[in-house]
Amino acid sequence: MPPVPLPGRRRAETVEKLRRLLPRLERVSAGTSVLPFGLPALDAHLPQGGLVRGALHEIAPRASADTPAAFGLLAALLTLPALTSDRPVLLVGDIADHGRVYGHGLRGFGLDPSRLILVETKNDKQALWAMEEALRSRVPVAVAGTIDKLDLKTSQRLHLAAGDAGLPLLLLRPAKTAHASAAATRWRVGSAEAARDRFGLIARWRWKVSLERCRNGRPGEWLVEFDHGAHRFSLAAPLADPALSRGRYAPLVKRAG
Amino acid sequence: MNAAAEAEDLAIGDTLADARAKAGLLQVHAADPLADDAALRRLALWATRYTPAVALWGEESGADGLFLDITGASHLFGGEEKLLDDLAHRLARFGLPARLAIAETAGTAWALARFHPSPSVILPAGQESEALSPLPVAALRLLPETRTTLRRLGFKRIGALIDRPRAPFAARFEKELLRRLDQALGHAPEPLAPIVPPPVYHSLRYLLEPVFIQEAVVAIATRLMRDIVHALVRDGVGARSLRLALYRVDGKVKTIDIGLTRPTRSPDHVARLIDLKLDRMTETLDAGFGFEALGLAVTVAERMDARQTELSSLSEAAGDAGTTDERCAKLVDSLRQRLGPRCVRWLAPVASHLPERAETRCAEASSWPAPDEARPRPLLLFARAEPADNVTALVPEGPPRRFRWRSVMHGVARAQGPERIAGEWWRNTQAPTRDYYLVEDEAGRRFWLYREGLFGRETALPRWFVHGLFA
Repeated sequence: MPPVPLPGRRRAETVEKLRRLLPRLERVSAGTSVLPFGLPALDAHLPQGGLVRGALHEIAPRASADTPAAFGLLAALLTLPALTSDRPVLLVGDIADHGRVYGHGLRGFGLDPSRLILVETKNDKQALWAMEEALRSRVPVAVAGTIDKLDLKTSQRLHLAAGDAGLPLLLLRPAKTAHASAAATRWRVGSAEAARDRFGLIARWRWKVSLERCRNGRPGEWLVEFDHGAHRFSLAAPLADPALSRGRYAPLVKRAG
Repeated sequence: MNAAAEAEDLAIGDTLADARAKAGLLQVHAADPLADDAALRRLALWATRYTPAVALWGEESGADGLFLDITGASHLFGGEEKLLDDLAHRLARFGLPARLAIAETAGTAWALARFHPSPSVILPAGQESEALSPLPVAALRLLPETRTTLRRLGFKRIGALIDRPRAPFAARFEKELLRRLDQALGHAPEPLAPIVPPPVYHSLRYLLEPVFIQEAVVAIATRLMRDIVHALVRDGVGARSLRLALYRVDGKVKTIDIGLTRPTRSPDHVARLIDLKLDRMTETLDAGFGFEALGLAVTVAERMDARQTELSSLSEAAGDAGTTDERCAKLVDSLRQRLGPRCVRWLAPVASHLPERAETRCAEASSWPAPDEARPRPLLLFARAEPADNVTALVPEGPPRRFRWRSVMHGVARAQGPERIAGEWWRNTQAPTRDYYLVEDEAGRRFWLYREGLFGRETALPRWFVHGLFA
């Protein structure tokens, strides 16, 4: 269809209309349910004020050895109050090469293992099927999984399935992940020295979390702490450890404080 | 003995030399009772297309035939004659010569099948004694000794035994004789041991044309389940376990078992599970020339509240079913059906001090104790602790300063511990004590390391292991 020339006033109206339409097409709108981190610095950075619920989110470690940290962020997200209900959480696939999910550890982390359904799959095909099936049933409150290979088409499919179900799908990806994907966000997680109390015991887990890709948003980088007792995220306080206010995290930390 | 052998005048019990002399050219094969038994079992399974209660003939009955309890099943074929015709026809098509008989009691049917001149007999009820009278006493399935004694005493026909005073027989013979006689006449019960326990709820459908494709099988299975649902509702139960039998045209029977986490009466749910199972079985399920009959049986039924069904039927209409638990059970069912029953599990705590024994994966959710803040546990645990070498520690019983794991050196920045976990001495007296440390390396990665053995007391050179990884 050839473009129709519009008079000035009509043109402004049309642009306004299109502006309203665009987020709908992109499956983001004011009414979209989000999963806030509960961390103003992060939530304000994300275009919807938190993780979009009905969407695919990827979490990848910086290096393969950081996989536990990446899994930690995933587990921490699952313990957020917004996802706490009597509905189960599905974990599809196992964390290859870095041990098996340990219930007592999850319990200590604030995630009740009796809510966690473990689905073991033999290959990615089965894992994808299981995730889609779980999303379609709308039974779990969230679906988490590990996938080795994920092409653009498959990720679009998963993203749509998550969108239709209105459930978050959190994927733990291998460190090498760099492919294009339809995921709403991709997080890179690196290990960081934990926050300790005055007795030298670990008080809060701490990770270098960077937002690598974000639909309609900007990348960013934070030093995030997670208090497993309170199920709460926070930013590393600059005063708690002077070493942190130096170096690359200093400006971000200050802005948050 | 088949017709060819009879024509040559051979007899069971002949020596091989006699048989050779009579028949001339003879091929000899050793008897293979195991293969015979397996073949009979296959035939019995096939015969479940007529009735779910099929029993093999035991040792005392010759172990070469089947009992079919067709009580309440014959009308499905339009009467006993038609059933017998159908059976004879199909067996003939398999190339199996058969002798068939229908009678009120298993004993009489056996006797008629063995000794009646006609190969297919239907005896109307109440005529057992007349029918049995002319038959030889061997038709009562007696032990060889009893038979010999009876022959010596001049009793050749069963008629000579019927309506005689019982006391002399009871005194003279084992209980067996009178028991067999009573069973044949229907005065005493004869329980049959069916090859598969007959299900309480069962539905069967014969097809005019054999089906090959999965969709058709699923559609028919749905109809079968609909037939069963009425009986389930009447009895207030739901199916926990189902078996779908696919009868192939060539007489092979394929069975598909379906387990459910919660009792169900929903045909759609069952159909979906069958569909998923068939998806998984595409390689192994060989339809051959197609399936000519399908049977669905509820093998385990469990109480199901009426309220529940009303709810689920209402919400099924709305496309969304029941409570969270019910929907969760449905999801678990379908995942298990496609991925395998052991692929969907929950973590369950086990009362053990040893971290690797402290939990297991089981088929149902179980409740967890509150965590112990003083004893941190890793998110990821290795099923088998991985050895760490090149470990240096300031003091032998202190935390490590440096260790190598998976060929990478890690300098320890901070260590938390130790948490001492003694071996389970009631299991294994040799198990050394472990000292666990939560160790953070210079990059901020957190490990759960332990030293095996108490320095100086249990071992001179303790070994180190990485047992888990913290977030």
